[in-house]
Amino acid sequence: MPKKKSIKSIVHSAIIIVALAFFVFPIYWLFVTALKIQVDIFAMPPKWIFTPTLQNFYHVFFESAIPQLTMNSLITALSNVGISLVIGTMAAYGITRYKIGGQKLLFWFLSIRMLPPIVATIPLFIISASLGLIDTRIILPVLYLIINIPFVVWMMKSFIDEIPESIEESARIDGCSHWGVLGRIVLPLTAPGLVATGVICFIFAWNEFILAMVFTRSAHTRTLPVGISAFITEEMILWGYITASASIAAIPPLILAWIFQRYMVRGLTFGAVK
Amino acid sequence: MNTSVEQSPVKLETLEVDGHKRRPRRIKFGLILVAPAILVILLTIIYPTIYMFFVSFFRWSIIPTLPRHFIGFDQYLTIFRSSAFYGSLQATFLFLLVVVVVELLLGLGLALLIASSRIRWLRISFLMPAVIAPVVVGLIWRFMFSHDLGVINYFISMMGLERIAWLGRPTAALISIMIVDIWQWTPFAMLIILAGIESLPTEPLEAAQVDGASSTQVFRHILFPLLTPVLSIVLLFRALDAFKTFDIIYMITRGGPGRATYLLSYNIWRRAFFENNMGYAAALSVIMIILATILAKFFIGLLSRTQKMV
Repeated sequence: MPKKKSIKSIVHSAIIIVALAFFVFPIYWLFVTALKIQVDIFAMPPKWIFTPTLQNFYHVFFESAIPQLTMNSLITALSNVGISLVIGTMAAYGITRYKIGGQKLLFWFLSIRMLPPIVATIPLFIISASLGLIDTRIILPVLYLIINIPFVVWMMKSFIDEIPESIEESARIDGCSHWGVLGRIVLPLTAPGLVATGVICFIFAWNEFILAMVFTRSAHTRTLPVGISAFITEEMILWGYITASASIAAIPPLILAWIFQRYMVRGLTFGAVK
Repeated sequence: MNTSVEQSPVKLETLEVDGHKRRPRRIKFGLILVAPAILVILLTIIYPTIYMFFVSFFRWSIIPTLPRHFIGFDQYLTIFRSSAFYGSLQATFLFLLVVVVVELLLGLGLALLIASSRIRWLRISFLMPAVIAPVVVGLIWRFMFSHDLGVINYFISMMGLERIAWLGRPTAALISIMIVDIWQWTPFAMLIILAGIESLPTEPLEAAQVDGASSTQVFRHILFPLLTPVLSIVLLFRALDAFKTFDIIYMITRGGPGRATYLLSYNIWRRAFFENNMGYAAALSVIMIILATILAKFFIGLLSRTQKMV
């Protein structure tokens, strides 16, 4: 009996490892290709053992527009995260504690998240064109509010729900103002949640593609995903440079997700699964 | 802190005496908190969406100086008469159905395996596909799908099979896109279901095992009913996100070959920003919004039937 059980668990483990290999291999292949020289990239059969080189990264860092696009992505994402957190957390607090709008308002925010972004791009494009906002540095941080405010509302609601309301009540009784309760009680108590929420907002903004592609034109506004998508041409020869750039786009979310793994499932489900 | 909490019931009573005075102020503060978020959403998405209905009745070029012609419902009529639209619709829903079902089943199966396994610590590696930009995912898969130099065809030929023209044939291209989506989002489904399994009470499962229930019985009568809330969350997110798939199509097939992978989002983008026909794209978007609303209503309804989410 115990022997049978151990065989079963070995089979289970084997299946899990095969699945894991399937889900990790493309990411491995991306990084490995970025570390190969041109000849090794196109070697058939593929070279599993090779001498890694940083020359692709060197080229991308010093001889291409990628550093600037990376900066654009960073600035866009960070400024959007700041505004999203302030506006979204305020709304979450108002809905949770002051009972404004209730369930209806929450699901209204959720339905905004469910809207296909392409649907918004056409009217937004016409409006921003007439306001002269296409290809400016402020358009993307503003547009990403559509994605991130509903997310912050739901996430922060789930964190605020976890603080006992009695703490806030007693602070009120002790003479703390409404803003004071929010700033001195609620925010410090939800600080880890606030940081995690911000990190996930950052990943969304960092990865966003369709709005960035439609609303930016030049190298001083384009973000990293748009730059990478431009590599897809009829004949893609420079795979080393392409994969090196894609690696630069992939590394920050991977690191952040690793650090904040405790909150990721919660984040990917809008705070619904803890 | 402890003492103030203990004191609070006493003081609360005094608070309630003049509670009616405080109430308007309380509501006012609450409104101040919520107002900016509502305002931003109204301005950035609700108003533009209404504006889009307006645009959909015009022949509208992307170039602002060109004249616009009011043509009423003409564009809707053209859409409903065009076989390209039905092709796009069919591809979109076929894609949605296949990826959501596969991701849910695979995710559930893997979650059940990992939940009872000793290598649970490996689970966090499954997070990786879901956090990488779809653009990057599309790029790397396009590289791997390459006919002569791709690593996938290398594996296939190593097994003695014929190389596959992944992106060269209509059906194969649609399947390729499905594989990429399944690759990126099955781990997401798995992690959520796993979190659901781990938050379950252990008593019913133990009781069932003591009573000698088989593992299939345990799954069907205990685990599955308890997991339906989590499964419907996965369904809601995956169905709506699969419905709007754009990035990987743009990166891998560009809608091709022919129109085989013209999913709705890609179709709209192409009409608006490639064929310079904003009015037509707006009409398509109106249809897409209506479909998305029906989908969202359905899955949110499913969700609220299975649990109290909030």
